[in-house]
Amino acid sequence: MNLTSPNESILKVQEIQSYISHYHILEEVTFEVPRGSIVALLGRNGAGKTTTLKSILNLVTVKEGEIIFEGRPIQGLTPYEVAQRGIGFVPEHRAVFRDLSVEENLRIAERKKGDFDKKREMIFELFPDLKKFINLRGTELSGGQQQMLAIARALVPDNRLLLIDEPSEGLAPVVIEQMIEVIAELAKKSTVILVDQNFLVTSKLAHQYVIIEEGKSVDRGEMAELIGDQAKIHRYLGVA
Amino acid sequence: MKKKLNLTGILLIAAFVVFLVLAGRGMPPRDLLITTLRGFSVGSVTFLVAAGFSLIFGLLDVLNLAQGTLYMIGAYVGWTVFVRPDTFVDVTPIILFLMAGFALNFLWDYLADKIKLDPQKKKILGWSMVVVAVALAAFILPRYPIAMWQLNNYAQSPISFSYMADQGIRLPVAPAQAKGIPPMLALYGGLAISALLAFGLALIRYKENRQHSLHWKKWQVFVILLLLGTLIMAFNTPLSNWLMDMNTNWLFIIAIVVSVLSVVGLGALMEKTMIQPLYSRPVYQLMLTLGLGTIGMQLVKAIWGMPEFVLPKPEFFRGAGAACPATSIKDIFTHNCSTIMILGGRVRVYDEIVLPIIGITVLILVWLLLKKTRIGMIIRAGVQDSNMVEALGINVRRVFTFVFALGAGLAALGGVLSAPSNGLSVAMGEKLLLNALIALAIGGLTSYPGAALGSLMVGLIQQFMIKYGQIGIPIPFTDIIFKPTPAIIPASTMLLMVIVLLILPNGLLGRQD
Repeated sequence: MNLTSPNESILKVQEIQSYISHYHILEEVTFEVPRGSIVALLGRNGAGKTTTLKSILNLVTVKEGEIIFEGRPIQGLTPYEVAQRGIGFVPEHRAVFRDLSVEENLRIAERKKGDFDKKREMIFELFPDLKKFINLRGTELSGGQQQMLAIARALVPDNRLLLIDEPSEGLAPVVIEQMIEVIAELAKKSTVILVDQNFLVTSKLAHQYVIIEEGKSVDRGEMAELIGDQAKIHRYLGVA
Repeated sequence: MKKKLNLTGILLIAAFVVFLVLAGRGMPPRDLLITTLRGFSVGSVTFLVAAGFSLIFGLLDVLNLAQGTLYMIGAYVGWTVFVRPDTFVDVTPIILFLMAGFALNFLWDYLADKIKLDPQKKKILGWSMVVVAVALAAFILPRYPIAMWQLNNYAQSPISFSYMADQGIRLPVAPAQAKGIPPMLALYGGLAISALLAFGLALIRYKENRQHSLHWKKWQVFVILLLLGTLIMAFNTPLSNWLMDMNTNWLFIIAIVVSVLSVVGLGALMEKTMIQPLYSRPVYQLMLTLGLGTIGMQLVKAIWGMPEFVLPKPEFFRGAGAACPATSIKDIFTHNCSTIMILGGRVRVYDEIVLPIIGITVLILVWLLLKKTRIGMIIRAGVQDSNMVEALGINVRRVFTFVFALGAGLAALGGVLSAPSNGLSVAMGEKLLLNALIALAIGGLTSYPGAALGSLMVGLIQQFMIKYGQIGIPIPFTDIIFKPTPAIIPASTMLLMVIVLLILPNGLLGRQD
């Protein structure tokens, strides 16, 4: 792992085009993610934010373009091969395994035997609820706890990049506050690409942003600047 | 997978039991016991096929209609090892060598990466290699010497070999003759075929960006296959003789292991080469497994012939004489009695005691596999969302192959175990598949405990109906005694299914969604 230059890109996405069956979803998406940062993908519903995350993992078909992770191209690899290079995915709707206990939901993410035991302390410090409910089934948890579990699961192996999709979806404001704290905490150790409809979440967390509109990356820059630019926010995101 | 039995389900099962017992009022306790044990026996064999089907459907969403054929192939392979060990010894080396080329897949992938050609040309080169491999196979494989039975000569037919083996006599067999090329050359020709084929396929599926290594550990499987194959070939005659003279108990165990492993391999091959490319086309998969099932039946017919024969029981279950039937478990072990007296009735040890025990053992073992191992955890998670499992960095395709192979192996186990009691026939798989499907419909298609419950109910109702066919069911408040005819027996399982599905459309333990 190379941590020498802080501004080095951990991930480069260059002009990718993605398809879901024969539907052309991403027409041209380009962006870079500096190591150690939080990058938010912004845009309206159906713009292609989730598809962009899935393209990185090759869960959808990427036909054109290049994706470079830590200096090596990863497009065309199977999703598990991409994940094994050190990318963790927290999908929308939580996707906690209902027939697995909380502990099993965490253990299944191990890539080497003992991954979970090594991270146990750290994970339970970050998510005390999970320790309490370790033997419950995944779906017996509340919505917020399930979301925490889905994030914790991505922390079990040594992932250098986390793709987090809609973490605040359907959560109460208090829980969203906790979520923001947690993501800020874990971003100290790994890079994060964040997709969230809630602009309050992304604006608090992200250092940089990429705006995706109709399958194209149309704008990117520093989050601080975007927050000051009400016109742009209104134009691309429809929120004021 | 976990779905608690609800009240309706419990009532249905209770009604089922009450029906069996009430209808059997006239039955002496020993008949009731024997019929119940037979039900467990049939249920066990049905369960082995149904459990495999249910596991495969649960994780892969594939309705494996070839499951019945795999059951049948398991029986025939087991028969071959038991009755014609020399044929088994002849066939093994070439199979190992045909696998050896694929054990080098890591090397082919590495070479495919190193060859400097554009992707299009790589594909063309790959396909040419496949064509050459097939041509080579057409030349070499028929010239590979295998000593076999004959279908057109009764004295040398499987029936004769079975019958004599059942009498404890091994018919003399002529050793295989070289056919034009030296046997060792034919054997290593097999390696050339598989190497060419594997390399060709590696070129065809080649993708960039993968990392390759030629670590020495990766060569292990290849070296083992090669050594084993060469050794078996070199010591063919002593090995055949050793197996022929072996105690049949051990030979039976070897037959079971070989049969299960062969069909596990066959299942893995099926999944990897044919099912996997069709994951996005479920209807094609259905047609594929149905077609493969039929092809398998025709192959069995071509190799072993149409007439039915049995797999002789091993010595342990053949004892007779003054001390038999056994009156205690100890007698079974000291005199190897084939039957034991329970409640004044003769119970067959192999069919009515051992088969149910094996069925229950497998039920528990697979359950432990699902609940207590990492791969079981991955299977349970994959049943819900295999994409998410893959996104965690798990090679879920490999788990798919494992489950398919496991399901096939369970079917083969059922086949080889039922062969001594039910015999071998080309139709055995079809009949059992139908029973297994009914059992699954009753139990709930994706529920593993449901497969067990449904199989047991199917086994019980069948055996009870057969028994009622002999003694008749007295209809309450009348003088009529109703005797089910043989035609009603298969219909009774259907009827049971219809009743269950009318009340619980997803089966007793199926998900109610």
